Amino acid sequence: MELVKEKWTGKVHEVIIGATGAEGGTRTAVVRAGGETTMPFYDFEGGMPNRPVLAMEVLDKIPDEPSESLKKVFGDVWGDPGEWARKCVEEFGAEMISVQLLSAHPDEGDTDEKHAVETVRKVLKAVGVPLIIRAPGVAEKDNLIIPAASQAAAGERVLLGSAVQDNYKTIVASALADGHCIITESPIDINIAKQVNILVTDMGFPTDRIVMDPTTGGLGYGLEYTFSIMERARLAALGGDTVLAQPFISYIGQESWRAKETKAENEEWGDIEKRAPLWEAVGAISMLQAGSDILVLRHPHALKIVRQMLDELMGK
Amino acid sequence: MEKVIVTFYPDQKKVELPRGETLLFAARSAGIPVDASCGGEGICGKCRMIVREGHVNMAPTALLSRDEIRKSLVLACISNVDSDCSVEIPQDSRVGEIQALPGEGHSEKITGLEKLEKEISYPFSPLCEKIFLELPPPSLNDSMSDLSRLVRGIREHHDNFSINISLYNISRLPALLRGSEWKVTAAAGNCNGNIEVIDIEEGDCSGRNYGAAVDIGTTTIAVSVVDLARNGIVETRAAYNPQASFGADVISRIIYAGKNGGLEQLQRVVSGAINRLISSICSENGISIHDVTCVVAAGNTTMMHLLLKLDPSYIRREPYIPVAAELPPVHAMEAGIFINPRGLLRCVPGVASYVGGDITSGVIASGLADSDEISFLMDIGTNGEVVLGCKDWLMCCSCSAGPAFEGGGIKCGMRASAGAIQEIKIDNGDISYRVIGDVKPRGICGSGLIDLVAGMMRNGLVNRAGRFTEKAGDRLRSSDEGMEFVVVYAGETASGEDVVFTEIDMENLLRAKGAMYVGARFLFQKAGLSFNDLSKFYIGGGFGNYINLKNAVTIGLLPDIDMDKFQFIGNSSLTGARLCLKSRKAFERAGLTARMMTNFELSVEPGFMNEFTSALFLPHTESDLFPNVLKELGWK
Repeated sequence: MELVKEKWTGKVHEVIIGATGAEGGTRTAVVRAGGETTMPFYDFEGGMPNRPVLAMEVLDKIPDEPSESLKKVFGDVWGDPGEWARKCVEEFGAEMISVQLLSAHPDEGDTDEKHAVETVRKVLKAVGVPLIIRAPGVAEKDNLIIPAASQAAAGERVLLGSAVQDNYKTIVASALADGHCIITESPIDINIAKQVNILVTDMGFPTDRIVMDPTTGGLGYGLEYTFSIMERARLAALGGDTVLAQPFISYIGQESWRAKETKAENEEWGDIEKRAPLWEAVGAISMLQAGSDILVLRHPHALKIVRQMLDELMGK
Repeated sequence: MEKVIVTFYPDQKKVELPRGETLLFAARSAGIPVDASCGGEGICGKCRMIVREGHVNMAPTALLSRDEIRKSLVLACISNVDSDCSVEIPQDSRVGEIQALPGEGHSEKITGLEKLEKEISYPFSPLCEKIFLELPPPSLNDSMSDLSRLVRGIREHHDNFSINISLYNISRLPALLRGSEWKVTAAAGNCNGNIEVIDIEEGDCSGRNYGAAVDIGTTTIAVSVVDLARNGIVETRAAYNPQASFGADVISRIIYAGKNGGLEQLQRVVSGAINRLISSICSENGISIHDVTCVVAAGNTTMMHLLLKLDPSYIRREPYIPVAAELPPVHAMEAGIFINPRGLLRCVPGVASYVGGDITSGVIASGLADSDEISFLMDIGTNGEVVLGCKDWLMCCSCSAGPAFEGGGIKCGMRASAGAIQEIKIDNGDISYRVIGDVKPRGICGSGLIDLVAGMMRNGLVNRAGRFTEKAGDRLRSSDEGMEFVVVYAGETASGEDVVFTEIDMENLLRAKGAMYVGARFLFQKAGLSFNDLSKFYIGGGFGNYINLKNAVTIGLLPDIDMDKFQFIGNSSLTGARLCLKSRKAFERAGLTARMMTNFELSVEPGFMNEFTSALFLPHTESDLFPNVLKELGWK
């Protein structure tokens, strides 16, 4: 009996993030995301040339309601984004760092663009891996922060986030000027995902520099909606819809650590020290199954589990 | 309870009411129709009034600016009367003024419509006929009773009918027949194969027989008075449906009907509006109301329930059952419609709770159910409807588009009537427009809105999500409600204020066009057909006489197909009602059509929301669906 195989005509764009000295940047390596010609891990139907990338998150402020588990790991470097990033890369092997310029948010400190530039410079200096730089997601602040942060990282081919349907022009213009890639974000809606991509490319932004963030809920908090949206988008991409043929980024760490399962002490649920990172890891693995190309994680143990899983699925 | 008196201006109407009641209640009690699209919930901000004297307590609202509050503007629905007051109701806060549909019956497009109406070959056999009878006077040899003599006379014109006549009319016979030397005119109404003698008049009055075709839309009511003796249209007029002040959509009206006295109130205002339209046409054309012998009404199922004072509450509840979809003829008087006292009212049969007689009527008007080839009808309105099929099968579904194309929910929107901008062209930032009637612009009607958005797309003034771009230049400005685009500057307008188009208007328009397109696409998918399989694509709706089809395709309201296949048929529901009024065959056909139509519920389709969001883009998220539009605009 012969196995029935799907033949796909489409291919997910391969997006290269980071620039080494030879390419005009200062990164020690670049990452490649996307490029699939098959559904996730269906290597018998097509290719998955790039291993999904495991990034870790660094905030530009001390978290307001820190989780005890995370505090044990990162408490010593909180408040210093450079050291925090260095720890993620050197101790835990993060392949990318996602710098969250959270303190620029009006409710989180309302810091100015100078603060953002400083943060970006610190992290660029501290680590050699490619960066993701993400503004707080409030239009009026994003439009100040993004151009400044983008310029501070000019030539580094960072991944800038996020372009949304109501605010995408500033980020696109900055990324075009400074040679970066961008994240297009949509609220768990395949149509809006596509619409943002159209709006961005209508401004002349190249498709091989776009990564989609379909947004996600954490495990148990609506993850399944995102799962099916991602699956549908990827099926469309492989079927030839080039507008949806972008790699996915998933902020699964951020969502997982909002869940009560990662916060609440509860004997029946087992030891929180084990449970919390596991919660994140299971969410992350689900996102891989849905087709995610870049996972942004928080806890090193979660990263370790996901990495083991990838080793098994794709070989070291 | 303490009473207070509110005087409304400029009407100078006084009304006494308990202290603490709302101004909206006061205006309604005074019989002044006020625009309260949200049903008096304080949401729509349309029921603005100016308190000249006295005191009202208004609940806090974000819908009035500080400046407006300083000018004593209040929202009537959230303002409780505290003392005797003098209150001015501005024109913009009112609904229901009557306007003639300009050009109807004269312009090119409508001439085309009449041609279409004639091409559909239903024999002329009006719902009510006036038959002139020269009866032989009785003698000892012909000693039949007066009634039998009249019946015999009518039978000579109508064989095989049973004939009904009221006791009132029988009692008039002896004097009438003898006083007119046995020459009388009988007005004979057709009731499901029976003849009902509505009226008997002296002498030959057969030349004075009129009927009214009525389209009761959720937002607009249109009436044609038809000369049934000569087979011609006397005049067509339209007005906003005054029920709008109890809620903009059918659901909020059904809810209102469930309140104490609500149904009676809704019935009273709708029949009142129909009466005003009929009587204004009649009086200006020298027609006696007495000579209007019948009315054919078409409307969605809820509208018909409200007209007939039938409880609509089960339409809203699963499994969505109407009291009746097909109704026998009734006396117009019973529905509060004032024509000849025993004149008839027939309602064009509907299909289901959300697919009413207006769509059956549209099918009759388009001739869709008489064709061998597959064609499609899109009736664009607050409750839009789409029908696909041919003479062998018909499928339909309704799409809740909202009132945007009729000017509702649009800041400077209005119906296609005098002062409405009906055509807009944008050339390198220069805007030229055409206004209905020889007047300064007051607002924009549906066809103008379509042109505006298409023009903005061509000139890069909007992006594909419908947001204004910087290219809009000086015309773009921010207001309390977000960005707005100035279409006509204050100096050129009737009100002396700018005619603007806001981003909220754009969202409403996107939703309206999206809902219509999704409904259309859905039926084709169900039938396993593509838009290109069509032979004709009929478009109906209250756009007045004009809609730029190419622009309607550009914005994604209509599919991107061969332009020759489109045919605009105007208010198809009204046209169909007119046909049914003029031909019993057409009415029978409407009944058959209703029975053979398969209705699909869009709202229970799992993929609906997805398809809908996909259509909330210019022209559509799936660019492949609009290849010619993209090519023209140079978009990818």
